[in-house]
Amino acid sequence: MMNDRDILKYSLADFGHNDNDDVLAPPQDFLTWIKDPRVAMAFQFFEQPMLAAPTPRTSLRTNLDGVTRQMINLTSYNYLGLSTHPEVVAAAKAALDTYGVGAAGAALLSGTFDQHELFAEELARFKQKDACVLFSSGLGGNMGAIQAILQRGDVLVIDDKCHKSLIDGAKLAGAKLVSFAHNDANSLDETLARHKGKRVLVAIEGVYSMDGDLADLPAVVEVCESHGVPIYLDEAHSTLLFGENGRGIGEHFGLEDKIGVSFGTLSKSFGGVGGFVCANENLVRYMKCYASPFQFSCALPPAIVAAMRKSLEVATRDSSLRDAMWENVHYFRKNLESLNLDLGESASQVIPIIIGSSGEHLIMMAMAAQQRGLFLQPIDFPAVEAHARRFRISVSSQLTKQDIDEACNIIEDVIARPLGRV
Amino acid sequence: MSKDQIIEVITRNLLENIDDLDQSAINPESSMRDYGANSLDIIEVVSCSMRELKIKVPRSELAEVQNISQLADKFLEYVNA
Repeated sequence: MMNDRDILKYSLADFGHNDNDDVLAPPQDFLTWIKDPRVAMAFQFFEQPMLAAPTPRTSLRTNLDGVTRQMINLTSYNYLGLSTHPEVVAAAKAALDTYGVGAAGAALLSGTFDQHELFAEELARFKQKDACVLFSSGLGGNMGAIQAILQRGDVLVIDDKCHKSLIDGAKLAGAKLVSFAHNDANSLDETLARHKGKRVLVAIEGVYSMDGDLADLPAVVEVCESHGVPIYLDEAHSTLLFGENGRGIGEHFGLEDKIGVSFGTLSKSFGGVGGFVCANENLVRYMKCYASPFQFSCALPPAIVAAMRKSLEVATRDSSLRDAMWENVHYFRKNLESLNLDLGESASQVIPIIIGSSGEHLIMMAMAAQQRGLFLQPIDFPAVEAHARRFRISVSSQLTKQDIDEACNIIEDVIARPLGRV
Repeated sequence: MSKDQIIEVITRNLLENIDDLDQSAINPESSMRDYGANSLDIIEVVSCSMRELKIKVPRSELAEVQNISQLADKFLEYVNA
């Protein structure tokens, strides 16, 4: 079925269906593909162990040659550097002494501590909603919320570029899943018109994670209001970063009161792990009863929750951290633009460098970057379109101008020059 | 296998995945999107059709396909390979 000449044309998009009679074995052609040395080379970029904190200067044992290198880290989601902020770390340590390591139970029975209760109240107030439910992971939060809100016969309408957790939530709910063209209000309007009479929810993201562009929230709100359909807004990559008070894209556009459900993660700007969903009190109560990732998984460790409370406090008591991040975003962009690189429609701290359709070029460039001490992960099809393979920079407030200058020198040599941009 | 037979397979899977679609309305020179299919529907129609035809066309090859007829041409390359 798969000849040697074509092997590099295949991708993870091609092996999701398993036709092997042995239920404990992957598809035979998947094994042939993934064991091919050319494919295996690309997979070396996955699961490379970091030996230090995910700060702009970190230590990585690369899978390419087994060598441990000091790297400039442009890949971690530590946008505000809160995972290593002294006050956040101190809060975690103090809570560890008080509560120990684990929550030792699901939230409904024995996993809720005073820290969880306080943090949920603080997050609800921050997001200007009645109530909040905490989840042990961001993926679990999206999946669980959608599973609880929708059911068979309902429809989840998502932007084409929405995250897998929303797709999986619809599958778990048994709801029909339909998508509209990315950020296209006309496509959304047509899609909603086709599902008149059903219970429908529209889910979008504040910042799209592979492109770094923003939701066209004003247009989405206008269309949804005209159809009487509520909005679920995933602010995984925008909470603490956008809006005058850091509340996210809803605040940025002055449309928070138009958002029915506001979702966020604790693993990105917050520097920890977990997810949270804010909504009206009755809906939150209902979600707690029917969202499996809330009901049936162990609650977040109390020490993490205490640390995340401190992250929220540090990031919102003034704008210094997000101001520092935005200054870095502008400086980085200016440097990348002077290299004539294709940065797509990015308007956030997520900056793609789109290199085109060649997966082989992408991997060769990624290897060269890593050997030069730049931890900048390649993003290949099917995570992004086949004609727009890319690198993705996550800009952190912790980067210095020197880090950015050094990173741009490497990007110039290993990406811009081979592409003929300079 | 002929191109017409492949179009018949794709059309049947399209009808199974899209509500309220009339077979006589389907023109191979049109895109599945013209019949209300969204990108997730299209993935499902392509997957079902490939399984039925016992072929595996790399997904990365399908990005430039514009309509049902072009999809059938691409499938035909692999059916006869």
